[in-house]
Amino acid sequence: MTDIATPTVEPMTSGSRGFDSQRALRVAPVVVILVLCIVLPLMLSEFWVDRITGWIPLAIAALGLNLLTGYNGQISVGHGALYGLGAYTSAILVGDQGWPLFLAVLGGALVSFAAGVIIGLPALRIRGLYLALVTLSVAVLFPELVRQAEGLTGGTGGYYITEPQVNSRGVVVDRPIRLEAPEWTGLANDQWRFYVFVVIAFACFVLARNLVHSRTGRAMIAIRDNEVAAEVNGVNVARIKVLTFGVGSALAGVGGGLYALWRTQLFPQSFTLLASFYFLVAMVVGGPASIIGPAIGAVFYGFFADVITPELPERVKPATPLILGVLLIVLMRVAPGGVVGLARTTMARFAVARAAPRGADSESAAGEDETASISRSEE
Amino acid sequence: MNRSRTWRAVAVILALSLAAAGCGRDDDDSGDSDDSSTDDTSASSASFIDPAEDCEDYQPTQGISGDTITVGTVRPAQGPYAIYDTVTKGVEKFFDAANAKGGVKAGDGKSYQIKLLKEDDGYDPGRTPDAVKKLVEQDQVFAMVGQIGTENNLSVRTYINDKCVPSVALATGSPEWGKAAEYPWFIGGLPSYAAEARVALEFLEKDNPDATIALLYQNDDFGKSYQAAIEKYIEDTGSQMSVVAQQPYDPNSGQTTEGVTTQLAQSGADVFFVGIGGTPCPRTLTFIPADWQPTVYVSITCSGKIALSLAGGKDEGIYSTQAQLDAASPADQANPKVQQFIQDGQAQGLTMTDIEGGIVSAGWGFASIFARALELSPTVERADIMNTLYSMQDENFGLMRDEMSVNTNDAEDPWLFEQLRMVHREGGQWVQASELVEFDGESNEFVGG
Repeated sequence: MTDIATPTVEPMTSGSRGFDSQRALRVAPVVVILVLCIVLPLMLSEFWVDRITGWIPLAIAALGLNLLTGYNGQISVGHGALYGLGAYTSAILVGDQGWPLFLAVLGGALVSFAAGVIIGLPALRIRGLYLALVTLSVAVLFPELVRQAEGLTGGTGGYYITEPQVNSRGVVVDRPIRLEAPEWTGLANDQWRFYVFVVIAFACFVLARNLVHSRTGRAMIAIRDNEVAAEVNGVNVARIKVLTFGVGSALAGVGGGLYALWRTQLFPQSFTLLASFYFLVAMVVGGPASIIGPAIGAVFYGFFADVITPELPERVKPATPLILGVLLIVLMRVAPGGVVGLARTTMARFAVARAAPRGADSESAAGEDETASISRSEE
Repeated sequence: MNRSRTWRAVAVILALSLAAAGCGRDDDDSGDSDDSSTDDTSASSASFIDPAEDCEDYQPTQGISGDTITVGTVRPAQGPYAIYDTVTKGVEKFFDAANAKGGVKAGDGKSYQIKLLKEDDGYDPGRTPDAVKKLVEQDQVFAMVGQIGTENNLSVRTYINDKCVPSVALATGSPEWGKAAEYPWFIGGLPSYAAEARVALEFLEKDNPDATIALLYQNDDFGKSYQAAIEKYIEDTGSQMSVVAQQPYDPNSGQTTEGVTTQLAQSGADVFFVGIGGTPCPRTLTFIPADWQPTVYVSITCSGKIALSLAGGKDEGIYSTQAQLDAASPADQANPKVQQFIQDGQAQGLTMTDIEGGIVSAGWGFASIFARALELSPTVERADIMNTLYSMQDENFGLMRDEMSVNTNDAEDPWLFEQLRMVHREGGQWVQASELVEFDGESNEFVGG
C-alpha cells in the first residue's frame, strides 16, 4: 500500500532552528493564498466572485479525500456521494427544517461522518482495488437513491432551498434561502459568501494540518506505508482507518453543505462518479499527502473548468474531458507529486545547488533533509 | 517563539491587505448615473411590468450596442437530448435570415441586427445556472430566446426574474410558465402541456369514451404536468377514461425506455400516452411489443419529422398535436409563410431535411416571437419587450397556422399559443385529425396537481 502517494508530508520542523528560509518558504504560499483570498473578491466582478466561491467546496472535499487516500492510503472513488450526502442533508435541514445555515452544514458533516464510518467498516477487510470497487458502488448508487427518495430530495426535479416570500407585486413566491451579508460589513452578498467560505475552509485546513501532525496523523501515515509494521508498533489499525474514513467523509460533507448554500439548488446528476473524479483530480494535481495541495488542485481544476473551458472554440468544447485527461497525463509525467511535489523538488534542488558551492554545513543539511523527505516517507 | 513571530507577521499582512481593500469593490452605479436611460419612466404605471417596482438593478438596454442586439440561449449540445440543439439552429437561422435582409425593424424605427450566443448545459439543470449567468453577466445579453428544457428554465427562474432579463419563447410548455404574476420575465414559446394533454384526451375520448390509458411520463416537471393534467381532465369532466398504468422515465439516468415500455405493455391499455421528450421519445415506439396495439399519442415535443425518423417506422398511425404550420406536409407547403421559410432557410444553408424536420421550424417559430415583440415594442427596452408580449392582440406571425391568433393579457392570460390541432401520422406525414381547438385564456385552468 505504499504506492499510492510517493510524496509525503512535509517534515515536522523541530522549532529549534531560527527563522530559517525553509519555514519562510513554507509559510509564504499560505500568506500569498490568504492575501489573494482577501483581495480578489474586492477586485473581481460579482460573476467571478461567484465562480471562485464554487472552488472552495471542491477544495474542502478534496482535502477530505486527501486525508483518506493521500495520508492513509485508502482509495475512495465514492467521495462524490459523501459530498452529495452532506449537500442534501444541509439543504433539507435548511429548507424543510428551518435550521440556521451553519448548523445545517455541521449537520451535513455529521451525517457524512456517520456514513463514512459505516463505509469504512468493510474497508478494514477490503483493500486497494477492491475498496475502490466498494466505494464505486456507493458513488453509483447515490444519485439513484436521491432520485428514488423523491419526497425528500425532490428527485430529478431537484431540491430548491427556498422559503415563501411576498414579492413586489404582492404574490407569494419561493425565494432561495442564501447567505446574505450583514449590514455592518458593507459587503455585497457574493463577497460575504466568499469570505465566509474561506474562513470555514481555512478552519478545515488548519484542523486537517493539526490532525496530520498529531499522533493520530503519524499513525495514519504509518498504516499507509506499512500496515503490518504499524500494527506491530502498536497502532490500532482498525480504529485509525475507520476514523480517517469518517473524518475524510465529514470534510466532504462540509464541502457539500457549502456547495448547497452556494447553489441553493441541488440535482442528483451533480453528485455522480464524475464529482468523485473531480476530487481525485484536485487532489492529484495539487499534490497528494500535502495539506495545501487539494486547495491548489481545486484552484487549478476550477481555473480549467471556469476560465479556460469557456474560451475554447465551440467545436473543441465537447472534447473538454479529453483535454483535461491529456493535461493530467502530462502533469503526472512532469510532476508526479502534483504542484506541491514539484515545488518541493524545485526548492530542494535550489537549496542543494545553493548550498554546495558554499559548503555550509547547516544549509546543506537542510537541503538534504528536504530532498530526503521527497524521496521517501517520513518516519 | 519563532512560530508565533511568523504568525504575527502573517496577521499583520492580512490586516494590512484588509485595510487596503476596506473600501470594497467599485460601485457600478456611480459610473452609470449619467446614463440617461436609467432614469426615464417610459413604462407607464398601467404596464404589467414596472421596472421601478419590480427590479432592484434594472438595465433596460443591456446587450444593445449600436444597431446590434445580443441575445443568448442555453441548450444541450451533447447527450441524448442534443437533438434539441437543432431547435437552437432554427433560432439562429431565423436571425441570420433577418439580418441578411437588413435586420429586424423595431418599434423605435431602427433596424437591428440580432446576434445569438449559445451555451451548452447538456440538459442538466445543475449546469444551466452557470451557463445563464455567463450569458447575462459576462456576455451581457439583452434577453434569452428559445431556451430549452423545463427543469433547466426552472433552475434559473429566480435569477432571471431578479435580474429583470426577458426570457422569451421558452422551448417548453410547462404550466409553470403560466405563473406570470410570480415570474413576469418569462414567456413560453409552446402551448401549455396541460392544455395539450386536454386537447389530446378530448379527442381520444370521442373515439373511445371508456379508453384505458398507459402513461409514460418524464420524471420531471415537464412529464408530471401531463400526468397531473390527465388526472384533472378525468376528474373535472367525469370522463369514463382511466389511467390504468403509469411509469416515470428519468431523462438523465442514461437508461432507455425499453423496461418501462414493456411494463406498461402488460396493462394492455387502449391508449399509450408518451409524455417524454428527446430521442428517448421516438425510440420508445420501437420498444412497443408486437402483441400490444394501443392508440399512441406522442408529446408535441417529439412530433417533428426528424425525431420520428428515429422511431424505426413505428410512427405509422400515431397521434400528436401541432400549433404551427408543418413544412413537411404537402398541404402546408403551399402556404406563403412556409414558402418564405423554405426560401429564407435555404438561403441560410438549411437543407430540405432540416426544413421539413419539424425541429428547426420550432426554433424558427421561437425566434419569430422575439422578432415580433421587437417590431411591436414602442422602445427596445427589456420591460417594454415583455409588456408587449403580455398585451398582444390578434397577432399572427412566424409559422403560425393562418387561422391562429395570439392574444395575451398580462397575468390573466399569459399564454401566447392557445390553439392546437390533432394530427395523425399516415405514410410518414402528419395529416389533420381535428380542426384547430381553441382555448384562449384557459390554459391555466387545465393545470392539475
